This record gives sequence, structure tokens and C-alpha cells, in this order.
Amino acid sequence: MSTVLETSGLFRRFGKTEALRGVDVSVRRGELVGLVGPDGAGKTTLVRVLAGLLAPDAGTVRVLGRDPSKDPTVREAMGVMPQRYSLYGDLSIAENLQFFGRLFGLRKKDFDERTKRLLDITRLAPFTERRADALSGGMYKKLALACALLHQPEVLLLDEPTNGVDPVSRRELWELLHELVAQGMGVLLATPSMDEAARCHRVILLDQGRVLADGPPELLVRELDHPVLEVLGGDRNVVDAALLAHPDVRAASPAGTRLRVVLAPGSTERVRVALAALGARMTPVVADFEDVFLARTAHHEAVAEAGAEARAS
Amino acid sequence: MNGIRLFFLRIYAVAFKEALHVRRDVQTMIMALVMPVVLVLLFGFGVSFDLDHLAIAVADQDHTPASRAVAHALETSSDLRLVGGLDSAADAEQAFHRGDAVGVLVVPRGFAAKLARGEPSDVQLLVAGSDGSTAIQVLAKAEAVIGASAARFAAPGASVSLPISVATYIRYNPEGRSALMIVPGLVAYILAIIAVLLTALAIAREWERGSMEQLFCTPVGRVEIVVGKLLPYLVLGVIAVLLVLAAGAWVFDVPFRGDLWTLAAAAVLFLIGMLGQGLVISVLARNQMIATQAGVLSSMLPSMLLSGFLFPVENLPTPLRIFSNLVPARHFIAALRGVLLRGNGFAELSGELLALAAFAATMLLIAALRFRRRLD
Repeated sequence: MSTVLETSGLFRRFGKTEALRGVDVSVRRGELVGLVGPDGAGKTTLVRVLAGLLAPDAGTVRVLGRDPSKDPTVREAMGVMPQRYSLYGDLSIAENLQFFGRLFGLRKKDFDERTKRLLDITRLAPFTERRADALSGGMYKKLALACALLHQPEVLLLDEPTNGVDPVSRRELWELLHELVAQGMGVLLATPSMDEAARCHRVILLDQGRVLADGPPELLVRELDHPVLEVLGGDRNVVDAALLAHPDVRAASPAGTRLRVVLAPGSTERVRVALAALGARMTPVVADFEDVFLARTAHHEAVAEAGAEARAS
Repeated sequence: MNGIRLFFLRIYAVAFKEALHVRRDVQTMIMALVMPVVLVLLFGFGVSFDLDHLAIAVADQDHTPASRAVAHALETSSDLRLVGGLDSAADAEQAFHRGDAVGVLVVPRGFAAKLARGEPSDVQLLVAGSDGSTAIQVLAKAEAVIGASAARFAAPGASVSLPISVATYIRYNPEGRSALMIVPGLVAYILAIIAVLLTALAIAREWERGSMEQLFCTPVGRVEIVVGKLLPYLVLGVIAVLLVLAAGAWVFDVPFRGDLWTLAAAAVLFLIGMLGQGLVISVLARNQMIATQAGVLSSMLPSMLLSGFLFPVENLPTPLRIFSNLVPARHFIAALRGVLLRGNGFAELSGELLALAAFAATMLLIAALRFRRRLD
């Protein structure tokens, strides 16, 4: 499979903040790559650099062999769906599609065929006269995706495409993505959701501007050498505080009525002894991709919060 | 060949989309079409350099039929208004101080007697100089009134002959009506502000609502965005010019003596220049508030002060006078006055048209060059 998108050693800073600190990523034809990381990890900056909207301070970007910040022709083969609302709210679905169709220079016949098909797939066909402002979050995202797909790009960049989308629309979007990828499109999808990351062919874990892991999600889970356990019993607040203070506990997050912990490799017995003193015990559970994420990201408290949010959503 | 098709297709796409925004945005429509007409009517009625009913008092120390005739002559003039008699020249000071009168005519004792003897007889005119332009007008008008009636007071047989007689004719505006001077100036002034604002807001809005990000992800180029954005507002501006000139002709009887196509060319070049200035502002300022302030300031002040609208350009200090050559409103006002009042055409106004074209081209060039297709 040939590579459609590749970066090496990308650096980008905003004032004092280093958003990207040496990022190497790649996407191949027919591959769906998830870009996962907590808020502020640098996902949006990376997508913008790949789209040629931001120039990197150092490093190279190649999309279909071209540098998107210098060679605008690459845009003809690239589809981008930004995270922000960036269509025209006072224009209808049909008018937004028409505008982008013209900017990409589509012939009327191609335009008519493709919009019909995209409107059918996204089930937006009955609402073509509705203004983009008046669309629900899910419908808006589907329209944005349709606008990004009109010119049948070879590479697709999606920045949190399912943010604020109901579960039904979310499933429809994913089905559409899998279909496109099966036809050979290379897709990079930035998401804070571990569920979505686990459904990608390959996942790139980004935190504080660095790539922490890169590989198929099931392989990353299998290779996880951190024990994952659930904590039962004891006074919840006391146990919680003890876990947070314990140097071997990499992450602790609520899972239903229990606490789920990710421990440093080989530290299970030490933590078991510490918890026994508080009247709590641990049972091993099967690790999932979120545990990989929690184990790999460094900061104790920050990660515990992000994990809690991810589970809650 | 396909490249050219795409170039024009993209310009058309941007212009079409912008026209949809305008059509749905009532505020923009009102600002572009209704405001200029309302402002011209307001200013046209409100601003006038013609002073009439200037308050004049008479201190008649002669108390003769001749001295009363002089006072009467003032009273019957439409420009002056007699506000009462004073006992002495000393009271004039008080009348000025209270603001009762801006001029006092003193007819000294012995005025009639001198006239009767055929000797030169003097009257004294005191003018309050606190308002310079009023003082000048009082002087001129009182002199004219008294001069005109002087012959009637002279003793029979005493002939007044001057070695040179000056006859003054004012061409193009024989009645000296301010409206004829103001309306062309107003057209340029109001359109300058509105044209700059229209485009300044159009691109700043795109930054604010985030659509610039999506736009930059497409193959559309800078020139295509700039030209496409400009076109709908140019159409709007041309309609506004027509409306304002129609209002000027209908309400203020502003004539149209010259070549329509010269005026059309001047108006289109002027509008492109001002719309281009708005584009430059919005390329530099990415939010609507800053764009509005920069747009109003940069268009209003030069168009009002350095354009010949209110003050003749010749009266400006030399550095400002040189700078005023860069103000499009100055050339547009000159062209408007030329076409409307003097009946000029391309031949007489080629200099103005050239200046307007140069400004428009410069603005579009700066806008396209400074417009970076980047988010940072």
C-alpha cells in the first residue's frame, strides 16, 4: 500500500506553547488512522499543518508527495473537515454544496450525481433548503463531511467529526467512512474518544505534542505491560486518596461503582498490600484501549480527569 | 484553457455566495442603499453655507428721512434682518456681547446734510468678528445693500463715477446655492464610508465565523477571493450612486450637464478603490469591531477634510495638500462637479479618472498580496 500522507520531525509553537514537538505520522492508501489524545494534545494543530493551513516551524509534510503549504494543487485531492463550524450558516444545504462544488470546479453532471449520492447516504436529501444554522449538530457534521467529499479526495482529514453528534448519526458517519476507506481513500481522524480510536486500523497516540504510541489498537492493548485491575471495598474517599498518592498507580478512574486502576509494570503486589490495609482488594480485568491511553500518558491527575471525562461521555 | 475556466468559475462562486449573504442580510442592504439617500437628504437640508437673516442693528444718530431710508434698505433685504435701533455706537458693544446682533450700522449726525451738499457722506459698520465667515458675509451683504441704494441718496446732479467698473458673473451656479456644491461632495463622502465598511466587514465576518478555514482548504486563490468578494458590493455601490444622484436631482435640483459615461467610469473606479481599501483593512484586521473602526476612520476623515468637500483643497497646508492627491474622494468630487455642473466629459477629467484607477489598482494589489492563505 502506498503512502498518501507523511510527516517527519514536525515542530510548531504558538508563543510559549509548543503544540508539536517532533511529530512523525503517516497514512497509507485505504487506511483509517485515528489520531487520539486529550484536549490540548496538538491534534488540531497537526491537522491544520497537514491541510496547509499552518506552516510548521521545522520538519516536513508530504501529502501525495507534495508540500501542502507551498503547493496549493494538492488541495484538489484533499478533503478537510475542520473542527469548528466553518460552513455558511445563512446558506442552505444545497447552496453550501453548490459553493464548494464550484470552488472545486466540478462539472454540472458530476456535481449532480455526487450530491445526490452524498445526500442519500447522509439522509440530508429532504432538508436541502434548510439553512446550515438551523441544522442539528449531527446533520451539520454530515453536511460538512459531504462538502469535504464532493471532489472525491484521495486523502481525508477529519478533526473530531463526531463531536456533538447523536449515536445514530455517529454510526452512519462511521459506515460511510469505512466504505470510503474500502474504496482506497486514506483517512486521518482526530478524536478524543477511545471508542472511536479502537475502531481505526491504526492509532496514533498524541500527548503534549509528542507521539506516544503508533500501531493497531488491538496490538497496542496486547502489548500493554501495565496491570489493569478493579478495586472493591473499603471507604471510597480514603481508597481514592490513597490511590492518587501511591507512586505505582498510573491512573485511577471510576468505572461504574468501582474504581479502575492502571499500575506500573510489576507493582501489583505492592499496591495490593497498601490497599489491604484500607480494607480494599483488587481483581484483574481485561485491558482495553483506554487503559493503553491512560498508561502511556504521563501525568497522574490530569490523566485521571481526562479518563473520567472520556468514560462519562 | 481549463485553468481559465476554473479561475472565472471560482470568482463566480465567491461572488454568487456573497450575493446570497447580502440578499439575506437586511442590515447590509439598508446600510448600502437607504443610508446614502437618507444622509444626502439630511446633510443637504441641514448643511448650508448660505447665511441669511443676519441680525443687524442700526444706531441712527442723524434722525433724518435719509438716515431712516438707509435703515429701511437694510430691513427689506432678505439676507439681513433689522433687530432694532440703538441710541449710540457705544451700545453696539453691548448688542454684540449679548449676541443680539452680528453687525451694527452707525449713521452719524450730519449724514443727510452732507448728502444734501453733495459731499461724500460716511456711515460706519461694526461687525462682530467672533465668527469669521459670518463677519465676512455681513460685511459683503451690508456693503452691497448700501452701495446699491447709495445712488438714491445722492443729491441730484452729484454724479458718482469710478474709473473701473467690475461686473461679476458666477458661472455654473449663478445663484450661489450651497446644495450644488455640497451634493457632489456628500455623494463621495457617504459612499466612501459605506463602500469601505461593506468589504471590511465581509472578510472580517468570514474570519470570525470560521468559514475562512474551510475556504482555505479548497483550491480557491487569493485573487479569486478578493475579486469575487468585490463584485456584489460593486453592484450595490453603483445602485447607491444612482439613487443618491437621483435624490440630488429631484430634491435639490442638481443638474446633470456632462457625459454620463465619464461619470459612470469615475463612480466605478472610485467604488473599486474604496471597496479595495475595505478589503485591505479586513485582510489586516480579523475581527469585525476593529475592521469597523479602522474602516470608518480611514474613509471618513480624509473624505471629509482632504477632499475639497468642506474646504477648498488649495487652503490646506502644503504637506496635507500633497497628501490629498492620494484621497480618492478628492478626485471623485472633482469629477462629479465637473460632470454635473460644468458639463465635462472624458477629455477634461482624464487626470481624475487616472488617479482613481491608480488608487483602485493599488488597493486591490495590496489586498491580494497581503491576504495570506494561512490561519496564523
